[in-house]
Amino acid sequence: MYGLDAISAHNGWQLAALGTSIVFTGLIILSLAISQIHKVLEFWDKRHTYYQRIKKLVQRKHRSEAIVSDPVLPKNVKGSVRQFKLLVEQIGEPFPLPKLLDFSEKCGFPHSHSSVNDLLQAKLIVPDGKGYFLWNHEVEKNIKI
Amino acid sequence: MPVDINTIDSLNIFEHLSRTELEELASLMSRIRVTEGEVITRQGDQAHSIFILLSGNFMVFFKEDRSYTLHNKGDIVGLSAAVLPFCYTGTAVALTDGVVLSIPGQELSRLIESNPALGGKIMEKINQIISARQPFVTGGC
Amino acid sequence: MVDLLIEFLSNTGFALAGYQNIIMILVGIVLIYLGIAKKYEPFLLIPIGFGILMGNIPVIRDFGLGIYEKGSFLNYMYYGVMHDIYPPLIFLGVGALTDFSAMLARPSLMLLGAAAQIGIFATFLGALALGFAPNEAASIGIIGGADGPTAIFLTAVLAPRLIGPIAIAAYSYMALVPVIQPPIMRLLTSRKERLIRMEEPREVSKREKLIFPIVGFLLCCFIAPGALPLLGMLFFGNLLKESIVAERLARAARSSIIDTVTILLGLAVGASTQGDIFLTGKSMGIFILGASAFAVATASGVIFAKFMNLFLRQKINPLIGAAGVSAVPNSARVVQIVGQKEDPTNFLLMHAMAPNISGVIGSAIAAAILWSFLGG
Repeated sequence: MYGLDAISAHNGWQLAALGTSIVFTGLIILSLAISQIHKVLEFWDKRHTYYQRIKKLVQRKHRSEAIVSDPVLPKNVKGSVRQFKLLVEQIGEPFPLPKLLDFSEKCGFPHSHSSVNDLLQAKLIVPDGKGYFLWNHEVEKNIKI
Repeated sequence: MPVDINTIDSLNIFEHLSRTELEELASLMSRIRVTEGEVITRQGDQAHSIFILLSGNFMVFFKEDRSYTLHNKGDIVGLSAAVLPFCYTGTAVALTDGVVLSIPGQELSRLIESNPALGGKIMEKINQIISARQPFVTGGC
Repeated sequence: MVDLLIEFLSNTGFALAGYQNIIMILVGIVLIYLGIAKKYEPFLLIPIGFGILMGNIPVIRDFGLGIYEKGSFLNYMYYGVMHDIYPPLIFLGVGALTDFSAMLARPSLMLLGAAAQIGIFATFLGALALGFAPNEAASIGIIGGADGPTAIFLTAVLAPRLIGPIAIAAYSYMALVPVIQPPIMRLLTSRKERLIRMEEPREVSKREKLIFPIVGFLLCCFIAPGALPLLGMLFFGNLLKESIVAERLARAARSSIIDTVTILLGLAVGASTQGDIFLTGKSMGIFILGASAFAVATASGVIFAKFMNLFLRQKINPLIGAAGVSAVPNSARVVQIVGQKEDPTNFLLMHAMAPNISGVIGSAIAAAILWSFLGG
């Protein structure tokens, strides 16, 4: 037997409708039950929750105080300023930092990466906010003084 | 080298995570020393890991040589390992010697799938960082 | 001596192989290829693919080698399939792996897991219409649950002869979720709908997670006692995970136990597909109906999500309805990928996990209902 006759003969419509309804009922009951778990628990220990919240706030405050950044302080900045300034003048401003590094390596500067970092830390090289960098002439003057 | 939970507990990016969640994350991490000039991610490569900076200074550059530098503990490099299309959009190079925590992208995805609540928090944070960096990212993979 | 050699040669696979064996061996190689090269469910397709190779080596009958011969090695492995031992053990591992917090945070999304089960019953009707017996039709319909262990569980009790094709169809389509679902999801949703961002789920406490497996188990099994072996193990595995104090047991369940059982199940199911038994018109019908079961289940989930949006103040992204077909976590991953194609900063994965996990529960309940209706 085939087609709709086969479905009717085997009570297919009733089975499918009842089956779908039971699956829906089961999951609806389960979802209703689990949606109440947290409310019941919250009701049970409301005071405790407030206490925890205050405690958390205090902990957070402590934690943010405990965070210590790890700056690497510039060393021997003065030595590299002149050389890097010449390179920057050659590239033109604003300049891409990878290009400055590339040029300094080609020129054989020792520790060109950390030297660029020293200049960044000393704010002699500053970002322009668009992905390129500028030479900070103000800071350069102060270093010479 | 395994990572101690106290190492990541102090990082700003994880401040909203519980101790259990931190433990789960720490179990995925390994501590890696990097030396000046070392490339930790290369643009176009398959993004295998995310790196969290513990010390040292780094530069990340993209096509057209746009770049930004990272100097703070907790800064992140290699977020492409957690988002499509899973290939690094920038090259990250160490400007000084330093230490980073590495999280394999696949492990992180597995954790996110098995713990959606934690996954939600992590992805939200990653989203924020990606949005902030979007102006610098040029050219995709 | 020549006679001996001729006898030996006539007993080799080259002499005994029929065209069906060759076709099935090619199918096995394709599955292994899909698992390794395309990374479609490699943990399943590689054992099943190799199992097909093992099952289709033509062996002399009554030599104690074939999977259907009592006492053979393969037959012992197959025992776990035929007696519903493997599926509950897989569920134990799934429970120990799964975090239910997405579902606990937003229980209303469980309805999507229920909606996707419509595919099971629609296919059941389709199979009846095509002339399958009711018990066979139910076993075919359960493919739409996109849950391999559940499909094997029900088929073993209702239509044991169809275990091979049904298990292969179920696992193949589970592996092909990234191919089957996206076109249906895109067809049924507008770009605007796919861009919907869902609100962050609320935080779920440890105690809620601890209470859930007990409440969930009691409720589900009181409603559908037939789901006891599957859901009992699922919720027990989850209780082990959430209790923390039994972490060692949870670790065993989610790693060594589930891995071992997956190997045994995959190989046994694969080996059960001997060409002469597997390559029949019925199997082809099962494959076609299985694909439509998947498609209807996906569509039902998505359409129901759109229906829910008519009443919800905070709209849900209808793509997550597709995750109601179970196939954990593959279909949730597909939702994430389809969503991110429209908006790379929209993360739907954790939202999709809710219907995804409830789909597992829903398909186990559906299997229990079909068993209770047709098992007698």
